[in-house]
Amino acid sequence: MVDSMNKNIETNGVRSSISDNPLIDCQDVDVYYGDKQALYSVCLGINEKEVTSLIGPSGCGKSTFLRCLNRMNDVIDTCSITGCIKINGEDIYDPNIDVVELRSRIGMVFQKPNPFPKSVFDNVAYGPRLHGRIIEKADMSNKVEESLVRAGLWDEIKDRLNEPGTSLSGGQQQRLCIARAIAVDPQIILMDEPCSALDPIATAKIEELIDELKAKYTIVIVTHSMQQAARVSQRTAFFHLGSLIEVGDTENIFRSPENEQTEAYVTGRYG
Amino acid sequence: MNKTIRQLTLKRQFAEKRFKFYGQASLFLALIMLVVIISSMTYRSIPAFTNYGLNLNINLSQNNIDKDNINYRRLIRENIFLLDSGCEDRKCRREFSRLFSSGAAYELKDSLENDPSLLKKDFRKFILFSDDADLFYKFGIDKNLPENERRLSDREISWLSDFQEAGLVEKRFSTNFFTNGDSREPEIAGVLGAVVGSLYTILITLIISFPIGVLSAIYLESFAKKNRLTDFIEVNINNLAAVPSIVFGLLGLALFINFFGMPRSAPLVGGCVLSLMTLPVIIIATRASLQAVPPSIREAALAMGASEMQVVFQHLFPAALPGILTGTIIGLARAFGESAPLLLIGMVAFVVDIPGSVTDPATALPVQVYLWADSPERAFVAKTSAATLVLIFLLIVINLAAVILRKKYQLKW
Repeated sequence: MVDSMNKNIETNGVRSSISDNPLIDCQDVDVYYGDKQALYSVCLGINEKEVTSLIGPSGCGKSTFLRCLNRMNDVIDTCSITGCIKINGEDIYDPNIDVVELRSRIGMVFQKPNPFPKSVFDNVAYGPRLHGRIIEKADMSNKVEESLVRAGLWDEIKDRLNEPGTSLSGGQQQRLCIARAIAVDPQIILMDEPCSALDPIATAKIEELIDELKAKYTIVIVTHSMQQAARVSQRTAFFHLGSLIEVGDTENIFRSPENEQTEAYVTGRYG
Repeated sequence: MNKTIRQLTLKRQFAEKRFKFYGQASLFLALIMLVVIISSMTYRSIPAFTNYGLNLNINLSQNNIDKDNINYRRLIRENIFLLDSGCEDRKCRREFSRLFSSGAAYELKDSLENDPSLLKKDFRKFILFSDDADLFYKFGIDKNLPENERRLSDREISWLSDFQEAGLVEKRFSTNFFTNGDSREPEIAGVLGAVVGSLYTILITLIISFPIGVLSAIYLESFAKKNRLTDFIEVNINNLAAVPSIVFGLLGLALFINFFGMPRSAPLVGGCVLSLMTLPVIIIATRASLQAVPPSIREAALAMGASEMQVVFQHLFPAALPGILTGTIIGLARAFGESAPLLLIGMVAFVVDIPGSVTDPATALPVQVYLWADSPERAFVAKTSAATLVLIFLLIVINLAAVILRKKYQLKW
């Protein structure tokens, strides 16, 4: 059955309509967990300083794809990846690439807020310290403040910098994680369902934040909420059963999708 | 309400109550047993903490003593017979001097060496009775027994009663027990040698097994590829944890002493043997606590660009530290109470001196308990219980340290 599906998908291989020079360019990405194939020849380009959202039913491979972009799948022993992912024209799976350096250029925000069990300050200062970018104490304070301001958290917690990051509320923790990610000035921020553990008010704040951040960063967001995809992203990619079904401007995907499956999904009849 | 649902609810509530009762009952039983053990030990050890002795006049002002060649034994004997023994013959004199501890000569030597001015003075010195005399004052004696079946003859009993009537007998807290090494004479035998031996042994065990155990656990957990080899190693580590401790003693004898030629009876070898025993415990505990760290922390650190090693030492290890320490200390506490493997590597030897280094001959506390329990002198019964109490006390201290360290390093999530 897998074989027949596989064939089907290969013949349906989708190419997106995209600007000539995307920041992230993925060609024929296949991902296997052991014998099980999780992604089938995904070709997707992601534009600079835009929000691209990945939607699709659970288990469709959107998170797997997202994790390919900063090589987080490397830590899973059974996971193997073929194909080519280029960022700034550079193949990130090239053996000469330093994964640590790569990840310092690509921030990631997870589904569940995961601040370190350290103070708020240390959480934000972690990245710059780790990469030895900032040594002076005053510079570090400035950097922490700047990151927290950009994450919209400064006014709420400027008096609580020494409290553990885990003592904040869920929404604040997630924004702290965003502040931690942007403290190392990444080019790209990957977000894996960043609002799924949050209440609507915290979600609204994060969405607002994403909207502001896109002026400076390229953002790829995985989301289960189609409204969220519609609200925050400029482009949307729909995944189903491990393959990319359709990608395009968010407006087009939601108003007039080309593919039947996409239409069924975005109108809520399916998935 | 539906009748069957109501019945079910009642049944469930009853089951819950019954289960709670079982739990409380077993807890209560466990506590009772603990109380019985500790209190019977304490009760039986009480005699070991006191000694009867006699304030003896030592007259040195008349004698002209050669400083470099003092016969302390003779000095004691001469002064003992200033007491009223009423002895005419040699046999009687021997019997009389046997009432006093043979350790008295060593104590006199110590005080004269500490304070040489005493050599020209008359002074009073507290000298201990021998164990039989000591037991007479503590428990009395059954005079209905025929004389030749008693430890003390009628004559000795009358001497001891005379001392008591003359008010010469004094009961003192037995500091000997805490400051001396082992001895054939129960009244001067102490646990310090065994305690020091045990502490040296445990120190060696800690130094060897903690770094090796923690590092191998970290490697297996975070770096090693999952394949047949690591599976095999894992199974074997778990097996090692279940191997009877005496087997490690045999291994230590063959490997450390016979092959590597390390000294017999030394805490160094004891520590090595006990590390073999403690290693699997530490490895298993460390792996379990590393696994218990939420994976989200690892992901967060990796995504921030931390290398695998930075993830381990900046995040996983600190978060797992309380669990690692608990596991280590439980392993060490087990090693601390272990006697069987130490018997095989010669730490069962009769050692009088307090060991000064890890290569000196020594015994360990549990072995000391075994040695004393095996001794024929009745006074060692109380000593055995007292040594056991010391062992339990030290174990409580170690476990308390575990609790405190765990509290201290506990991270808040």
